[in-house]
Amino acid sequence: MSLAIETINLQKTYKSRGGGSIGVVNNLDLQVERGEIFGFLGPNGAGKTTTIKILLGIIYPTSGVAKVLDKDAGDLEAHKKLSYLPEKPYYYEHMTGLEIMRFYASLFGIKDRAHCESLLERVNLTNDMNRPISQYSKGMQQRVGLAQSLLNDPELLFLDEPTGGLDPIAHIEIRDLILKFREEGRTVFISSHELSDVERICDRVAIINKGEIVAQGRLDDLLAGGRIEVTADNASEEIAAKLRTDDRTVSLGHGRLILEMSDSEDTGAVIDALRSGGSEIVSVIPRKKRLEDLFIESVASDNQLKGRKMSKMTGESTEPEATNEEEAGS
Amino acid sequence: MNVILSIAKTTVGEAIRRRVLLIILLIGVLFLAVAPGLSVLSLRQDFSVLASFTLGVIKLTSAIIAIVLTVYLIPNEIERRTIYTILSKPVLRWQFVIGKYLGAVAALGLMMALMTVTLVAVFAIMGKGASMDVILNLTRAPVMFFIQMSLLAAVAVFFSTFVPPITNFFLSGGVFMIGTIFSPVFDSISSNEKTSGLVKMGAGIIHAIVPNFGMFNIENSVINQGQQIQNPTFFMLKMLLYALLYICACLFLGVIVFDRKEV
Ligand SMILES: Nc1ncnc2c1ncn2[C@@H]1O[C@H](COP(=O)(O)OP(=O)(O)O)[C@@H](O)[C@H]1O
Ligand SMILES: [Mg+2]
Repeated sequence: MSLAIETINLQKTYKSRGGGSIGVVNNLDLQVERGEIFGFLGPNGAGKTTTIKILLGIIYPTSGVAKVLDKDAGDLEAHKKLSYLPEKPYYYEHMTGLEIMRFYASLFGIKDRAHCESLLERVNLTNDMNRPISQYSKGMQQRVGLAQSLLNDPELLFLDEPTGGLDPIAHIEIRDLILKFREEGRTVFISSHELSDVERICDRVAIINKGEIVAQGRLDDLLAGGRIEVTADNASEEIAAKLRTDDRTVSLGHGRLILEMSDSEDTGAVIDALRSGGSEIVSVIPRKKRLEDLFIESVASDNQLKGRKMSKMTGESTEPEATNEEEAGS
Repeated sequence: MNVILSIAKTTVGEAIRRRVLLIILLIGVLFLAVAPGLSVLSLRQDFSVLASFTLGVIKLTSAIIAIVLTVYLIPNEIERRTIYTILSKPVLRWQFVIGKYLGAVAALGLMMALMTVTLVAVFAIMGKGASMDVILNLTRAPVMFFIQMSLLAAVAVFFSTFVPPITNFFLSGGVFMIGTIFSPVFDSISSNEKTSGLVKMGAGIIHAIVPNFGMFNIENSVINQGQQIQNPTFFMLKMLLYALLYICACLFLGVIVFDRKEV
């Protein structure tokens, strides 16, 4: 089956104030399959929004290919089958939730009021749909955003930081809605710098930093290589020495042994050895690598390669403008 | 077409709620309402003085509204990112620009209609004994203003595709002023044999490019019975056509610039 999104060697550069140029997106190769939730992850200023805008034809690439639903980015036919929820969206404040929906529906030539109402019901806004948007909370506005993104029953959704600035309850609501989109067979392209959002819902991810992909693949594969911690009581010094290898860490105190090993090793053999030595197994806990670890690993190593300071790179406190200036100066 | 109308409709809804515009409109209407009471004007019990003052108020107010309304028309959409959701729908950029423009013109029309109604009311109530015929004849002027301001709005929309709002405010305002007063200046320059060829050429270029807003003026003819235009309907149609051609040209150029613009 053809891809939902494909970019080949996508490049976007801006002129810097010094007269040089800044690569905001560099050699970007993306392949998003149909029907998956694809996480597009990276710190602030990494180039996520820029990439999405290129894919939607809102801005134009400096070079490279961007295909969306088999059409060139910005193609009107493709736009009938996709939708977009921008980062921190604003709406015409004088309009009510329902009016906004009807306005966006009219851009698809949809006149059906009931359709708009049912989508608002889906995001739990039935009671508020006749109130002006200016009275909506952030979470409510974001739900209007998701409702409008379903107006054309899209095959592909672009969600740019959909949970940005929302409280934890709203986070969960939005996440559940996104999971339903996949059940309905839609492709979801979701950008985020908040990993907890996407960790549990994405099938595949690409991690982008400074406009370049630093890791891409199935989340399961990228997060493989976790550790397992085995705890046992009544262990002897002797058995501890027997189990100790280069790849394991073993500690022993007051008869309690804690052994940490890679999850690719045979856990059963270790447990058998402990049991036959007269120990009791207390617990066996998989310590899975978290997306957070992978993220920091990829982004940090990438930045170290470029000889930059670690603290700046996790992105949490670095504003895009600041990054930009730093780039422009160098 | 539906898309353009939807965008226009939303634009009207937003424009008629914009506080700046409403304040400017309110000031204009207030001036119209108190005009008959102003001592400078009532000193001479003269219809033509009051008429030219009130028409002047309407013209100035609508010119300011037209410019303030349009210089922010597209930049605001970008600033608030409302344009992103719109352009990600099956909407072409020219449809967006035309929809915004038509909405602005419609909103401007509504505001000018309100001022015209005020004008008629003012003259009907205390209009120095002017007959209804004369008063209705007076309303030809705001109709002409509306055509003029629609053209001014198109000029501002064109500029707004590449200059920021404040610059555009002065640019469009400047074009309006030059277009209003330049024609006689140009005539005197080109008929004066002492001016250098270069100056004449410059004047010629300005004269050719800048819309001739001065040509629209029919205030004198609606105020002074003695200065009737030969065939007013023909004149208005001619000016409408002139304005439409300029509007199309401005919007066409605006769309060309906007089409490649990064928003
Ligand atoms: N129009 C522009 N001109 C110059 N630099 C820009 C422009 N738009 C974005 N940038 C820069 O591109 C980088 C990536 O921005 P963006 O795509 O918004 O990042 P993200 O969405 O990942 O946070 C930032 O450093 C930003 O400052
Ligand atoms: Mg972003």
